[in-house]
Amino acid sequence: MAGAARTSSGGFRRWMERYPFLPALLILAVLLALNGFYQPRSVSLVGITGLVKTYLALMLLAVAQTYVVYAGDIDLSVGAIVSLVNCVIVVLMQYMGGTAFSALGAIGVGLAVGLACGLVNGLLVATFRLQAIVATFATSIFFTGIALYILPVAGLPAPAAFWRTYGGRFLDIPFVFYVAVVLAVILWAMARTRLVMRLLAVGDDAQRAFQSGLPVTAIRVRGYVMTGLFSALAAFCVTGDTASGDPLVGGKMTLYSVAAVVLGGTALSGGYGTVVGSVFGALIIGLINSLVYFVGTPSEWQNLVQGLAILIALMAGVVVGRRARA
Amino acid sequence: MSKFTAIALSTVAAIAVTAFSANAEDFKIGLSNGWVGSEWRTQMIDEAKAAAEAWKAKGVNVEVVVQSANVDVPGQIAHVRNFINEGVNAIIINPNSPTAFDPVFAQAKEAGILVISTDAEVSSPDALYVGIDQTAWGAAGAEWLAKTLNGKGNVVAINGVAGHPANEMRVAGYRSVFSKYPDIKVVNEVNANWDQAQGQQAMQNLLATYPDINGVWVQDGMAAGAWKSIMDAGKAGSIAATGEIRKDFIDLWIKDKLNSGASVNPPGVMASALNVAVLMLQKKELKEPATAGQYKNAMYLPIPFIDSSNVADAAKQLDGKPGYYSYTEQLSIEDAEKLFK
Repeated sequence: MAGAARTSSGGFRRWMERYPFLPALLILAVLLALNGFYQPRSVSLVGITGLVKTYLALMLLAVAQTYVVYAGDIDLSVGAIVSLVNCVIVVLMQYMGGTAFSALGAIGVGLAVGLACGLVNGLLVATFRLQAIVATFATSIFFTGIALYILPVAGLPAPAAFWRTYGGRFLDIPFVFYVAVVLAVILWAMARTRLVMRLLAVGDDAQRAFQSGLPVTAIRVRGYVMTGLFSALAAFCVTGDTASGDPLVGGKMTLYSVAAVVLGGTALSGGYGTVVGSVFGALIIGLINSLVYFVGTPSEWQNLVQGLAILIALMAGVVVGRRARA
Repeated sequence: MSKFTAIALSTVAAIAVTAFSANAEDFKIGLSNGWVGSEWRTQMIDEAKAAAEAWKAKGVNVEVVVQSANVDVPGQIAHVRNFINEGVNAIIINPNSPTAFDPVFAQAKEAGILVISTDAEVSSPDALYVGIDQTAWGAAGAEWLAKTLNGKGNVVAINGVAGHPANEMRVAGYRSVFSKYPDIKVVNEVNANWDQAQGQQAMQNLLATYPDINGVWVQDGMAAGAWKSIMDAGKAGSIAATGEIRKDFIDLWIKDKLNSGASVNPPGVMASALNVAVLMLQKKELKEPATAGQYKNAMYLPIPFIDSSNVADAAKQLDGKPGYYSYTEQLSIEDAEKLFK
């Protein structure tokens, strides 16, 4: 009996090592079931489509955050990058007449802006060795400043072609599901790349990575560039779901992205984690927000209960993870 | 899983049945608030709940469901989607963004839900704005200041969050007024992010830089901070500055006989919006369609103004309330009915 238990827990441990996001997946399943219990329509096709549409941006932003966290860094400017890219592409599409071609052009420019922001962060943190948390906090104010310069006040609408595509259907399947599938494939392919391995190695022990001959500075800069690129992708989703430019739209998303990373089982100290976990973490945050309302929490308590629920999800993840590793 | 689906389906069916068999005068209204940083918002929701309760006397059952938490824009879009999933009759929202809700409001309208924004205007053609005109709010304070200074003097402005639509409208409001007075010079404009402490510090800096300030145009809670700096500098007698509407400040205003005037953005706006919403749900028609404002979907409420002539009345209304309580006014059911055919 005891022996059987030991093997099964050993099996679970091996599973946990290969898939650190398992606790997050479990919590996600529980939350989905609870949401469905309290509000059946929230787990209908329309409800799930709405959930994905709303939180695709946070999922991408959580993925963005994961790449720097892999290396033990952090990026507090991801929300500001979202705002900046959002403003740049909306203004650009307006300027170019709102055609489909302008949308493609704007997406290209948006990716370049995200890349540039990531490069700035990477150079400051890795090359000039500023503390990541403060340096990226400073660049977040800087990026927001540029966004405010480009679009001083929220309100410029995005061309209908852009948000109709995002909110629409293609062969009867909501467009966002295609995005989700493409994202899954990209993440799956990315997880096997040398860059991700090296980021994890740096996060595990930067000193040892350096001594074993890895170009630590260059790797960390590349991590920030990846973060910038995925933040730009998140900005496209925000633009698709909000159909407008807003220089302050992403600001509050930054800490949610960090929370999603941690909920997904990735260690903030670096060296351990998965992007898939971060995607689940983002969905967990979304489902908690809905559940707090669907169970009928009085408005005065919603913030408190929401915070508590996130803490509980975090603790559940730690308990399951620790049992597996013990 | 199939059992679960069966349960889910039967629940849906049950909800559908209750929805159809319910009395026509039963309305469910969702209130969404995306920022909980001030007591003003809490009071706004409390007043709206009380307004819903008041409809009982008229034989109308108004159930309000509330989502109020600090959320980002996607988080508040999720509020709206939750309301759509729940099948409310109307949504009243204090929105975190003027434009970001266009697609989701279109979905709400498709689902037959009435959407009203309050406190901040939205660009959606599928929604209605019921609240004050922030431009006129800014202009009213500036008008008072210009008159108090006899159309002449050096003025500084302390603004809220740059890029925030309400802030930009208020700024446009005071600029349009001051431009009509050639002898009023706006010597500096700073942002203090609607934060009382930042307002106080900004005022300190301004007083140090410009010793000859005659007037200060400052918004909301920052006014209390700015006035503190003015009083600390011993200039309360020589400077006129706009004020704010919380009991603490109004008490101070009376006690120290401040030379102040305050445009009121009453927290009762959401209650007003709720009364309008219920009448619209009763399929009543507005005498004049709501077509005001930059988005042509606004219905502006009157903006009360407090100055030294009526500050005592304001204090009377706030008597016995806690210090953070704001002076308020709302469109009563009767007032709202007068707007309809």
